[in-house]
Amino acid sequence: MDVTGASSDAEVVARVLGGDREAFGLVVRRYEAGLLRFAARMLGSRDAAADAVAESFVRAYRHLASCREPTRLRTWLYRIVANRCKSHLARRPIADVSLDEAPPVADPSDTEVALERAEQLALVRRALVRLSPEKREAFLLKHVEGLSYEEMAAVTGERIPTLKMRVHRAREALLQVLEDHE
Amino acid sequence: MNAIDPRIHQVLDGELAPGALSTELRRSVERLVTAVALLAAPLPLPSLEPRVMALIRRPVPSRARRLLRWLATPRSVTFRVRPVWSLAFAAVVAMLTLVPIGHEGPDIGEHEGIAQFVGRFPGAQSVHVVGSFNDWRPGSIALEDVDQDGLWRATVVLPTGAYEYMFVVDGERWVPDHLAERLVSDEFGRENSIVIVRPARR
Amino acid sequence: MRLWLGLALLAGPLAAQSARARLEGRVPGAAVPALDSLVQQAVAEGLPTEPLIQKALEGGAKQVTAPRIVAAVQLSLGQLRAARDLLIRAGDEPPVTPGEVTTVAWALRRDLPAPVVERVVAALPRPPRASAMHAVADLAAHRFDPDSAADLIIAAIGRGLVRERLLDVSAAAAHELQRGHTHAEALALVRQALPNVPASPKPTRSAVARARRPAAPPP
Repeated sequence: MDVTGASSDAEVVARVLGGDREAFGLVVRRYEAGLLRFAARMLGSRDAAADAVAESFVRAYRHLASCREPTRLRTWLYRIVANRCKSHLARRPIADVSLDEAPPVADPSDTEVALERAEQLALVRRALVRLSPEKREAFLLKHVEGLSYEEMAAVTGERIPTLKMRVHRAREALLQVLEDHE
Repeated sequence: MNAIDPRIHQVLDGELAPGALSTELRRSVERLVTAVALLAAPLPLPSLEPRVMALIRRPVPSRARRLLRWLATPRSVTFRVRPVWSLAFAAVVAMLTLVPIGHEGPDIGEHEGIAQFVGRFPGAQSVHVVGSFNDWRPGSIALEDVDQDGLWRATVVLPTGAYEYMFVVDGERWVPDHLAERLVSDEFGRENSIVIVRPARR
Repeated sequence: MRLWLGLALLAGPLAAQSARARLEGRVPGAAVPALDSLVQQAVAEGLPTEPLIQKALEGGAKQVTAPRIVAAVQLSLGQLRAARDLLIRAGDEPPVTPGEVTTVAWALRRDLPAPVVERVVAALPRPPRASAMHAVADLAAHRFDPDSAADLIIAAIGRGLVRERLLDVSAAAAHELQRGHTHAEALALVRQALPNVPASPKPTRSAVARARRPAAPPP
């Protein structure tokens, strides 16, 4: 299955800007998995995440000419999705955010380990949703999406010391929840 | 919220080896690493590609769209036509659809490919691409800004191979292609971009 | 045989003559004799002349002064000589082909270390090597260690990939970086996938329909 395509981001951007609209499908396939995961963890809902990411892709397509550094397309897409998630959260109080669909239901064939894993995930998600959107964003970008602090600064528009502080606070809060649960 | 031992942060930031921690602190690090691994698992969601591409292909609502909607609304219209005219009309339609009129684009040879040049030059009056494919002759390949949005484009048939080039804006300003990933010193104090033209027929 | 010898002897002076004709009016007049002499030297040494002519035309188009054009062409001639020597060191039988000299000179200009270029030449005993060289240089431009970059491309050649398909290998590695992998991970992922790296898409029908040939140069 060709999910990546061989062209570099800059080449794909050049093709789309050159009038090859369908080449944008390559951008979607390339980055949707990470962006969906990030948005779902930010918003606590897969449906809301799918909406936010789809709208972000359309927005990115319409404003592709303003992407000044196509080699950093990934960072630019995260910025669009992060902004969309934050404005979504600003419209909906945090209490309204569902903690993701239903709690994970273990398949009858699941082993005890898998069940424990599902419970752990539910616990981590709950702890994550309790963080402020800014701290949640910083933690997810750093640890789940694997961005460097420089890339995070490009995504959020914040200074690196601020981002480091947010990541530290998020770790502290998460660790407290995890340790309290034991 | 209690602050945690700063060494936990140092390990998570890659500034300190986990081995330097006590067993208890290492357990804290492991808890966080496990939590991250759980969050990082891919989500089983269907691809957004069909939805996004459908949205992109959909034209922006406009007057034309309203007109289209009006045209698409079913209305009853009565025609009284002689059969001979119907046949003549069908013959014309068949001619137009079955007989090719001209052809789209140039014939591309076995050792030729297509290069697309795109650049953002808002406010420019003219943009040309000049390089080793046209003997560095300014003016032979013009880019166009059809939408007047500052985005200049040209799609050119070139023999396959690698070429150095630059954009010339308003006939005097030499600018490298920022979308090109390959750059090489031009030995005159600037950098040329490199394009590799691959065979169009593969 | 005599005819071939005659033609071969004629080819050099003809190339030099046509070079002068191409440069007249395109570079400052003061530069033409020196440029002509450099082209003659290249002909005498069996080196390609086209890169020198292109460099001179480029300087003329960019309205660079005559001494700087001559200096740049001199530098190019030096690069071509270094490229020829490298090819012979790496095992090519002299006289080496002009196309390969141009390819190697380009690889060196793209900052590939000479030993890396030699390894790629030796791994591909039969030209053309242009795509392999550009693929390694592309990887190095993405800050892959040049030696590891050459390893990957040589491995791809070993798995049967040739010509432009090698550019797909470097593109695949660059793409893994863009997806957030480290350099080492990206190399390992692509190596594992060999020879099944995604092929660069063909030009779309709309691109072909839009494509134009460059306007012919004025007589």
